[in-house]
Amino acid sequence: MLDDTVETTENTSSLNTSSVELSRTTQTLDYHALNAMLNLYDNEGRLQLQADREASRQYFLQHVNQNTVFFHSLAEKLEYLVAENYYEKEVLDQYDFAFIKSLFERAYAVKFRFQSFLGAFKYYTSYTLKTFDGRRYLERFEDRVCMVALTLAQGDETVARQLMDEIIHGRFQPATPTFLNCGKKQRGELVSCFLLRIEDNMESIGRSINSALQLSKRGGGVAFLLSNIREAGAPIKHIENQSSGIIPIMKMLEDAFSYANQLGARQGAGAVYLNAHHPDILRFLDTKRENADEKIRIKTLSLGVVIPDITFELARRNEQMYLFSPYDVENVYGKPFGDISVTEKYDEMVDDARIRKTKINARELFQTLAEVQFESGYPYVMFEDTVNRANPIAGRINMSNLCSEILQVNTPSDYDADLGYERIGEDISCNLGSLNIARTMDSSDFGATVETAIRGLTAVSEMSDIRSVPSISEANKHSHAIGLGQMNLHGYLAREHIHYGSEEGLDFTNLYFYTVTYHALRASNQLAIERGVAFAGFADSDYASGVYFDKYTEQAWGPRTARVRELFDKAGIHVPTQDDWRALKASVMAHGLFNRNLQAVPPTGSISYINHSTSSIHPVVSKIEIRKEGKLGRVYYPAPYLNDDNQEYYQDAYEIGPEKIIDTYAEATQHVDQGLSLTLFFRDTATTRDINRAQIYAWRQGIKTLYYVRLRQAALEGTEVEGCVSCTL
Amino acid sequence: MTATAAPRHLTRVDAINWNRLQDDKDLEVWNRLTANFWLPEKVPLSNDVSAWNTLTEQEQTLTIRVFTGLTLLDTIQGTIGAPALIEDAVTPHEEAVFTNISFMESVHARSYSSIFSTLCATRDVDDAYRWSEENPHLQNKAELILNRYRMDDPLMRKVASVFLESFLFYSGFYLPMYWASRGKLTNTADLIRLIIRDEAVHGYYIGYKFQQALAKESAERQQEIKDATFDLLLELYDNEVQYTESLYDDVGLTEEVKAFLHYNANKALMNLGYEPLFPGATEAVNPAILAALSPGAEENHDFFSGSGSSYVIGRSERTEDEDWAF
Repeated sequence: MLDDTVETTENTSSLNTSSVELSRTTQTLDYHALNAMLNLYDNEGRLQLQADREASRQYFLQHVNQNTVFFHSLAEKLEYLVAENYYEKEVLDQYDFAFIKSLFERAYAVKFRFQSFLGAFKYYTSYTLKTFDGRRYLERFEDRVCMVALTLAQGDETVARQLMDEIIHGRFQPATPTFLNCGKKQRGELVSCFLLRIEDNMESIGRSINSALQLSKRGGGVAFLLSNIREAGAPIKHIENQSSGIIPIMKMLEDAFSYANQLGARQGAGAVYLNAHHPDILRFLDTKRENADEKIRIKTLSLGVVIPDITFELARRNEQMYLFSPYDVENVYGKPFGDISVTEKYDEMVDDARIRKTKINARELFQTLAEVQFESGYPYVMFEDTVNRANPIAGRINMSNLCSEILQVNTPSDYDADLGYERIGEDISCNLGSLNIARTMDSSDFGATVETAIRGLTAVSEMSDIRSVPSISEANKHSHAIGLGQMNLHGYLAREHIHYGSEEGLDFTNLYFYTVTYHALRASNQLAIERGVAFAGFADSDYASGVYFDKYTEQAWGPRTARVRELFDKAGIHVPTQDDWRALKASVMAHGLFNRNLQAVPPTGSISYINHSTSSIHPVVSKIEIRKEGKLGRVYYPAPYLNDDNQEYYQDAYEIGPEKIIDTYAEATQHVDQGLSLTLFFRDTATTRDINRAQIYAWRQGIKTLYYVRLRQAALEGTEVEGCVSCTL
Repeated sequence: MTATAAPRHLTRVDAINWNRLQDDKDLEVWNRLTANFWLPEKVPLSNDVSAWNTLTEQEQTLTIRVFTGLTLLDTIQGTIGAPALIEDAVTPHEEAVFTNISFMESVHARSYSSIFSTLCATRDVDDAYRWSEENPHLQNKAELILNRYRMDDPLMRKVASVFLESFLFYSGFYLPMYWASRGKLTNTADLIRLIIRDEAVHGYYIGYKFQQALAKESAERQQEIKDATFDLLLELYDNEVQYTESLYDDVGLTEEVKAFLHYNANKALMNLGYEPLFPGATEAVNPAILAALSPGAEENHDFFSGSGSSYVIGRSERTEDEDWAF
């Protein structure tokens, strides 16, 4: 019977039933054209959702089925793929063939179907296993899911079955590097995200270029901390005016990233973070100006600014802010600038004559920040003191990553003259995966869904060993940091007829994250008990002292609105009580946690299309989203659960505006140990002042980081394309 | 045909006062154009090198030729067309808008060279330039437009200009949009979309000014202009069909491009305030191309995929004490 299910034409027959009668002209169109009809209203002004369904059907008929390699049985298929070096033999050898067969059968029995053209197209273009010449497909979605589950379960049949169930039903979706690479013989790493310090010496700078190359080659994005680097004009070997500052380093990093890519799958991508009180801060921002000189212009590197509370305080008082020479600060304090709390030491450093300083107007810095964000969307912002106050782990957080959701402590490395390590410090890697909120709410066992996801992510950390960058490899071995994310919040709210950012929407967000946090901690505690070991540094954490749990044991959390109570009741989800938390606290204090970090909410691009979600916990950017990616071109994506009758619940991010988004994120932030990617959306009537106000509001609401600033310009009246869905505001 | 009423032209230089507008549209368009300012350096074209190498030699030649054709048109518009319109301006603000249009046309012409220098070998580009000098349809097209620009008739100059901006460019724009809908040269498409964003406003504005001026004319003269406009369009259309065939026949896209020509000819006529000429043109255009044209800034992309065509230069405004009250 399996022989039948492996046959690839099956997908089309069931798509047939969902497709409706289309005019003759439509039927002759190719799937790209059909998909593009999503962006155009029909003659009666209705959305053409059926055209997208027809597009995915035609995609299978015209393209996928003809180009998929056919096998008579699973045994034949697996043997071939292992023999031809497509699959990793070691993964399959951990299991009996009878079990593997039963797992594939179970997966195929679910009758998975892609819900949109983009989902199918993205999967087949970017994820599925192809023949080495890139011409034919060797996997269907079910095969990929089984290989991911078999890889991450590391021989444990029960876990393999659980992971397969969670992924195929769309409740848990591993991040791209994990989902793409698991089980393949020729592959990149399973982790997606790296954060590295750069110290103020040539060895460290040289090593960082090497790390940029090595890590890009293995997939994912790399962020670097520039705050420690001495400023332009600083002395070298006590000779004044020698250093050229951070810009040339950024240039080198940018070139390194564009040189390396993951087997051509995607270009390397990188980010750099700089403290707002670094003397090069204005030069740093100017690299993204529209009219920047080519020698200093930064095109593809992402920028982030680290802003301490003192900067806001100085701006409030409309005072000058001092910028401090990292070279002098390190000489005076004996530690790098990035490891100093500027807020705490500000007055001291201002009064210290040994530290060279310059000053700029604090409000003007914020205005410049907003101007550059208008032109380029950058920089990201990290609110340094908010982040460190909320950090339960001993140590200091001084940077974030390419998507501004990873927030972990780090320590410096020392290098020999030959670039070997004198002392291996701790740098950061994080592997991510997200729950689909709507599907997780529909789960028959909410707690088990969270636990399986935590186990899957932990497996990625255990299976990763980034030997090319020892500081990452070492830290990962000790910390097992993971980032469980969430997506499809807006899709879920709209499905339940709740407006994004409404009282009920905020209530749900709070309660959902509260409940997930409980189960994530419970699962990590369970892992610590099973493995008999906690993460390194647990003893110094707020988890060990129990302080972390105060907010849950000393205060009752529950639904504030009847609608949210009803949603949780209907789903049969138990909301953890104070007693539940007390029991968990006791167990954590006794046995520890296996993972140093547990949650981080990424922006979820590609995987939310495959999973048919709205991305992250953002509102949709449009009812019909226009997506541009290097490998796909322009593709159109309908919001999940959208139909002609429920459009009022799909207000887009520009209509909703920054405040409700910030409020929603604030509800989630209080439960998440790391960060959440938060994009601010403005219409082009906004000014820099509006952006600044939103930033101030976010900071006051306890938001940890801000991701892109996005602007939407409405087409000038008279120049719009007729009947275009995305042109209407 | 001769021009009437020359005294409408600005005869002396007055200091421009943007606080005393004769026509609000001037400021609206000025604001839009300046907010849309961009330079080709912002687009990471080099990300398209690998996609370029997947094109067949024939496809590469076609693409270079199409861009040389566009360069020629932008050169005409930047150095002759828009300056001619400056002379015809009836308000100082209109003059200012045309100086911006003129400059941006030169930026566009410059952009194609950026594409060439990033993607192609110099020899191939030189061949294409030679081709553009020798292609009779391209030269004829340039001549038809230049003829109108040399006429001493402000109305016909505007007509020619709108046809150039809203119609003639698009046989060329079709190709990068087509590649992008196939996932190829997507950064080049971003750049072209920036150009389209500009041209859409240019065509609309010049058409608007044309309609303003035409309304002041006698019924007889209005009819005369209308006839001349449609004559010009048909002449350009016939030539454009031949130009399209000379370019696209080899790759089998001619029919699709022609459908796109009809659509844009209609748009150009509508910009001038006339009824469309080709019925059902919108429906016939490949939806992938039509959807790719939308000049708004709603596209979503990630950091792996270039800069997009969405960002604009913003309006700066200082924060006040009330913003910092916490």
